Amino acid sequence: MKKEKIVMSVTIAAVCILLVAVMSAQFRTVEETDITGIETAREEELRTMIASWKTKYEETSQKLEETNQKINEYKQKETSNEEMTILLDKELLQTNMLVGKTDVTGEGIIITLTDNENVEIEDRDLLNLINELKLAGAEAISINDKRIVNMTDIVVVNDTILINEERVTSPYTVKVIGNQKYLSSALSLKNSGYIDKYTSLGKTINMTLEKNIKILAYNSGNNLMEFKYAKEAEEQ
Amino acid sequence: MIFIAIIIGCIIGALIGINIPTIPYTYSGYLAIAIIAALDSVFGGITSTLKRNFDMKIFISGFFVNAILAIALTYLGEKLNVDIYLAAVIVFVGRMFNNLGTIRRYYVEKLTSKKIIAKAEATIKQANEEK
Repeated sequence: MKKEKIVMSVTIAAVCILLVAVMSAQFRTVEETDITGIETAREEELRTMIASWKTKYEETSQKLEETNQKINEYKQKETSNEEMTILLDKELLQTNMLVGKTDVTGEGIIITLTDNENVEIEDRDLLNLINELKLAGAEAISINDKRIVNMTDIVVVNDTILINEERVTSPYTVKVIGNQKYLSSALSLKNSGYIDKYTSLGKTINMTLEKNIKILAYNSGNNLMEFKYAKEAEEQ
Repeated sequence: MIFIAIIIGCIIGALIGINIPTIPYTYSGYLAIAIIAALDSVFGGITSTLKRNFDMKIFISGFFVNAILAIALTYLGEKLNVDIYLAAVIVFVGRMFNNLGTIRRYYVEKLTSKKIIAKAEATIKQANEEK
């Protein structure tokens, strides 16, 4: 009788140990598990989550596409604007070069006219030279770094030569950019050429060919380039 | 003796349960069903004790076989895509309520009968004194 009771007690104790151990383990598991976590979520929850994420993803990708399209449009506009700007810049540069507002470099010749004991260089000599040079295809000319532009005047006032209304004195260094061959051959024609003609009159003229000449921009303080009377004609 | 065994068992079990590593969440569903089945067996055992037809072999076999069967059925349900564990829960919890009701009734009846007996005894005593 007593043995039976002991066996029963031990058995029930063992059962209790098992039951309570499993229960407390289960409590801990349930307590410690984050139900919202993906690893522990149930299949249906996962399914709904995937579905909602998919919708979100689709919406977002659609938005992304729209935004990309907009960006492309803006880019196209920008490039067209840029092209316009480049074109305008080019045109402006050309115009500036044409009117002599920029420094220019290139091949050409340098002519030096110097007063000597017998003869002085006159304004007419310079004018003639410039004319000849222009005929020979000169693209940019300067005399003693005074740029010759379309409004340039070369005059004599009180025995001094004025270019762009500024004094220049001997020696007169004429820098010319253009085709070297044309320029030099035009000036050095036998007898009728400029150099021969004026050397025979006893004037000192030197000509050198240069590969790289720099001619400065028109920078006179006088506003020769401002038009007061001429206006752009309206097209009809 | 049995009460001491139960208390010691509960304490040791709690200590073990706190110290063993947590069970993966995937298997915790099976374990929950097993726990419910075991609890059902325990309440059944208490009821049978009160009815004086408690059998150790039946209790132990019911305890383990019910738990294992519940786990097996839950697993099968998972494979069949049917929530069999719901049926197991309903059955076990229903039986637990039945057993609890039986236990409650037993103690209530015991209490009431004690009172009635006391009253009767008092009445008998009074009658004897009056004589």
